[in-house]
Amino acid sequence: MKTVKLFTLLLIMAFALPTQAQTVDEIIDSYFDNIGGLEKLNSLEGMKITAKVSQMGMEFPMEIVRMKDGRTSTSMSIQGQTYNQQTFDGETLWSHNMMTQQPEKMDAELTENFKLSINDFPNEFTNYKDKGYTVELLGKETIDGAETFKVKVIKEPITVDGKQEDDISFYYFDTENFVPIAMSTEVKTGPGKGMVQKISFSDYQEVDGLYFAHSWSIGAEGQPTSVPMTIEKIELNPTVEATSFAFPE
Amino acid sequence: MKKLFTIVVGALLWVHGTSAQQNTNGKQLFGDISARHIGPAGMSGRINDMEVHPTNSRIIYTGTAGGGVWRSKDGGATFKPIFDEYCQSIGAVTLDPNNPNNVIYVGTGETWTRNSVSIGDGLYKSVDGGSNWKKIGFDKSERIANIIVNPNNSDEIYVAVLGALWSDSEERGVYKSLDGGVTWNKILYVNQKTGAADLAIDPSNPNIIYASMWEFRRTAWGFDSGGENSALYKSVDGGTTWNKIHNGFPEGKLGRLAIAVAPTNPKVLYTVIEAEEEKKKGLYRSNDAGKNWEQLNNDFEITVRPFYFSRIVVDPRDENVVVKGGLSGSISRDGGKTFRNLGFMHSDIHDIAFSIKDSDIMYFGTDGGVYRSWDGGATMEIVENLPLSQFYHISVDDETPYNVYGGLQDNGSWYGPSSSSGGINAGDWNSIGGGDGFRVLKHPKKNIIYSEVYNAEIVWRYDVDKQLVKTVQPLQTKDADKLRFNWNPPMAISNTQPDRFYMGSQYLHKSEDMGDTWEIISPDLTTNDVSKQGQKDSGGLSTDNSGAENYTTIFTIAESPLDEKVIWVGTDDGNVQITQDGGKTWTNTVANIPSLPKNTWCYHIEASTFNSGTAYAVFEGHNSGDMTPYTYKTTDFGKTWTSILTDEVDGFVRNIQEDYVNPDLLFLGTEFGLYITTNGGKNWNKFTNNMPPVALHFIDLQKATNDLVMGTHGRGVIIIDDISPLREINEEIISKDLHFFANAPTVINEKSDFAANFGSETQFVGASKTKDMQFKYHLQKRHTFGKMTLQIQDMSGNVINELGPGKSKGINIVTWDFSKKMPKIAKGKTFTRSGFATHTVAAGSYKVVIKKGKKIYEHPFELVYDENSSLSEEDRKLKNETAEKLHDMTQKLAYMVYEVDELIAKATATNNKKLLTKLTDLKKTLVVTTGDAYVGAAPPELRGKMAALYSKVAATYDKPSTSDLENLEIISENFATAHKDFAKLKKKIKNSEDIELQSFEEFVGNK
Repeated sequence: MKTVKLFTLLLIMAFALPTQAQTVDEIIDSYFDNIGGLEKLNSLEGMKITAKVSQMGMEFPMEIVRMKDGRTSTSMSIQGQTYNQQTFDGETLWSHNMMTQQPEKMDAELTENFKLSINDFPNEFTNYKDKGYTVELLGKETIDGAETFKVKVIKEPITVDGKQEDDISFYYFDTENFVPIAMSTEVKTGPGKGMVQKISFSDYQEVDGLYFAHSWSIGAEGQPTSVPMTIEKIELNPTVEATSFAFPE
Repeated sequence: MKKLFTIVVGALLWVHGTSAQQNTNGKQLFGDISARHIGPAGMSGRINDMEVHPTNSRIIYTGTAGGGVWRSKDGGATFKPIFDEYCQSIGAVTLDPNNPNNVIYVGTGETWTRNSVSIGDGLYKSVDGGSNWKKIGFDKSERIANIIVNPNNSDEIYVAVLGALWSDSEERGVYKSLDGGVTWNKILYVNQKTGAADLAIDPSNPNIIYASMWEFRRTAWGFDSGGENSALYKSVDGGTTWNKIHNGFPEGKLGRLAIAVAPTNPKVLYTVIEAEEEKKKGLYRSNDAGKNWEQLNNDFEITVRPFYFSRIVVDPRDENVVVKGGLSGSISRDGGKTFRNLGFMHSDIHDIAFSIKDSDIMYFGTDGGVYRSWDGGATMEIVENLPLSQFYHISVDDETPYNVYGGLQDNGSWYGPSSSSGGINAGDWNSIGGGDGFRVLKHPKKNIIYSEVYNAEIVWRYDVDKQLVKTVQPLQTKDADKLRFNWNPPMAISNTQPDRFYMGSQYLHKSEDMGDTWEIISPDLTTNDVSKQGQKDSGGLSTDNSGAENYTTIFTIAESPLDEKVIWVGTDDGNVQITQDGGKTWTNTVANIPSLPKNTWCYHIEASTFNSGTAYAVFEGHNSGDMTPYTYKTTDFGKTWTSILTDEVDGFVRNIQEDYVNPDLLFLGTEFGLYITTNGGKNWNKFTNNMPPVALHFIDLQKATNDLVMGTHGRGVIIIDDISPLREINEEIISKDLHFFANAPTVINEKSDFAANFGSETQFVGASKTKDMQFKYHLQKRHTFGKMTLQIQDMSGNVINELGPGKSKGINIVTWDFSKKMPKIAKGKTFTRSGFATHTVAAGSYKVVIKKGKKIYEHPFELVYDENSSLSEEDRKLKNETAEKLHDMTQKLAYMVYEVDELIAKATATNNKKLLTKLTDLKKTLVVTTGDAYVGAAPPELRGKMAALYSKVAATYDKPSTSDLENLEIISENFATAHKDFAKLKKKIKNSEDIELQSFEEFVGNK
């Protein structure tokens, strides 16, 4: 009888083990530690990413510059010509029209939503409490065959087609090494409205003491194909020209 | 201590392992193998519940009978699924009125209790707008009719549990939670037969609640609605005490009752009463909150089939506008005195919702999907992207691409292609029979299709080419009793005799001439239990003799593919009969099956393709309340049977499919989705990649493509393309770092076509199968750190293309369109639209090379040409050489323009105007230097012309035409001239070699 009791007790203890697992802050702290430290991340002033997006033999070189003050430029090269998409100079969000090659201002709603994302440099999770974000551990989920912690992030509400909505995304942290291997978020506007976009992250590699995912695979739930983005180079604290962000008047 | 720990862990795995592993195992193994849904959505499916958002008129929810929960965020133009990982049979969807953007409740288990309904597994809650769900109880509820959240208090929730349909259950009645669903109290309960069918709350005083209780029971052979215990109750104290409110109600037994409170005047109530006396059935109204009732109407639409149509909805802006579900549905604008049918739409209207802004805008849930109306219910418009079709059965043919055939609940019989240009849309499906459709089979050799309606009242034989229709159902003869056919009558064809056609009543009928002549080749193979043959009296208070409860019938027939004399028959009352002499003698083998309750419905028998004595039989007893999965295998003609299930399988089983190559690879269709075993049933993995846990009624495996084709009862046809990697799966492969699955020599796809996309903005379009090549490999571990690349190389190691590798643990699939990398194209003022072409590589040997960290994995493969191609070897050579030549020339031109641009930069810097002019003039002949990429485009220069020809040559299946070659000649000449001119120019420039230029290889490689 005694053995049975002991056995039951052990059973309960063993079963209880997984539940006393991580808190969301432990996961995020481990993540920062494992990729090079929060201090180092916080000291970043800007990043320049050189990447290529491939689809069936076609390759489009991209350059993304993101500064701590919010200035951003995203450009894609097509047949040697550079087209800016979602470029922000601190006030105006603009893109090149692909037909006329002329810059055009993005609509007010998109611009306002973009401004809300400025504080996500270098990362959604850095100082998330100060940003007023809600971060919650929802449990474990299998992603890309790996066990992950599913973490929900609620950022500042955004405006979608004239109505305010919560800005929710989910990050999946590998339980082995605490780096996110995927994120998902609902597509709010456009033809994919209501679908869930999923981005897988891999090929984490070191850049001046910080680790970044150098491979993104961008797809949607329920869709078989995804578009790979390969990051070839990341430059930390790059030297930038103010003109590369400014809306060309 | 260590030993003890091992024991403990072992015990844990044993106790908790099954539930924990079920999903993760599948996800870790199947990786990128994903299901695709092909609909149809033109014939949508049964809807159980409609729900509108209380403050945002753009948001509408629908809870479907077998296809989960869908939400529209665009006012009903399109819907997206939000409940795909959970039970797909839905009773009710409710939003918390105090927090409607985030808090959603879903009660599972449909509540319009026809014979073919599925089952629910509890109540779910989301607190984040449907992104994540948690089950919060009611595991045994089977069906939940309503959920109401107190409009003033989110923590106070009422749930109406209708409960089990085929058995007694204590989990019924009205429940209340005071803590947001953490704990529940049963606040109204009558007995084990009587459930809560409807619930309403007074919006002005949430302590006032109305509940209708319904005594009901279904069996496999009958339905009984009504009894002494059906009643309408009211509580004025939040459910603590209840009183019947029957003043003015008819005498005697009552059946299903609906209840609705007018939102603008909560004193006004409506109920629809199913009563003993025909004249007393119908719509009743109370103007004093239930104290007194007056009968107003008992038209057909009001009283028809109460178990199926019992919904009343009152206009939120007008207490006198009342809508009632029904065969057509009807609307009253005079407070319920008179009704007019709703506008023309699919029959069988189950629920109605008014827009929160405008009562002209209404939404309807029917047996054929969701409809919108903009004119108060007069004109209907169907939602075209809800693929909720409910198949009873599917089959496939051997065309390329193959077609899928099947019959739908209340939506006829159809066939459609498994792939189609631009995707599979509603117009791709062809009707081959009306009514409720069930089994549809294609003649193995001729373009002839068999289809049917309920109880084999009609069996069609359709000659597709000649467009000739004949009905060929077996009829009663003087030698036999009245024939008893199931609602879903079985048919079968022979593997060896193409014109042979079987049908099953209580007898097995065989025809050798496609149904023109029938012969009975068996005695009554059922139990012939006359106590279970009372179909005509089925229904209870409202007779419902639809034929749906015809019982003691044959349900499945299988002739052995290896021996035409061996025929298996399974019956709905639990017999498993076999003949080994073509029907002369029959043996009932069911007594040899261990642990199977008596009279458990034999839903499917799968005769093995490996051995004529081997068969699989699946059973399900859900219509006696037994939800246990049963699947057995025999290898000795039924003398002995062994269960091949483990407790990894959840949900009762309706179908099994054996692989044609690996006898240990089996596919199991259950009420909660698909399970796969790769070891003959020792372990089962649930397949969840884009595969909801939908009721899976029938599975077929298409031989030529190895595609697994599934007929679901709620999400249409779902296909898993090419399951062949699963044949190779074993422990050894799984433990290797990386294992490539075999690629048979692959035919280069040279086919292409045109696709129209009218209406695709709001219509469901099912994905076609890829025509590209796929490389499949198993990774032991998910790749997260370090670099991983995948290249296609020729056998000498030259890079042909680079692709994005899959990095998941489990099976990865990488798709390649046989193309070489796109050439680098010269930089002009704008891009040229022809400049995105790539050409297909030549047939031959290639290899996939994966570099993962320091390790390199190689996988050789062969590409071949289509044997039926009209091109000779010489033609091929010309085509490949021309494409290569243009590819190279395009890159050389790109490099030349790059050089010119660099020199222009220098000339500009040094202000050498003369040189600048010469260089600019040269450049103008090479690329466009003005205009835009649309209607302001400049005329093409050399780059545009070259790209256009490359694109033309690359895109065609054919060899280059004479005109192509002549064009090539002039382009080559122009390029040679430009080259010469540039060389001359370069010589003249002093110190031109000072400019630091990339080499050609650097320039081309560094795109």
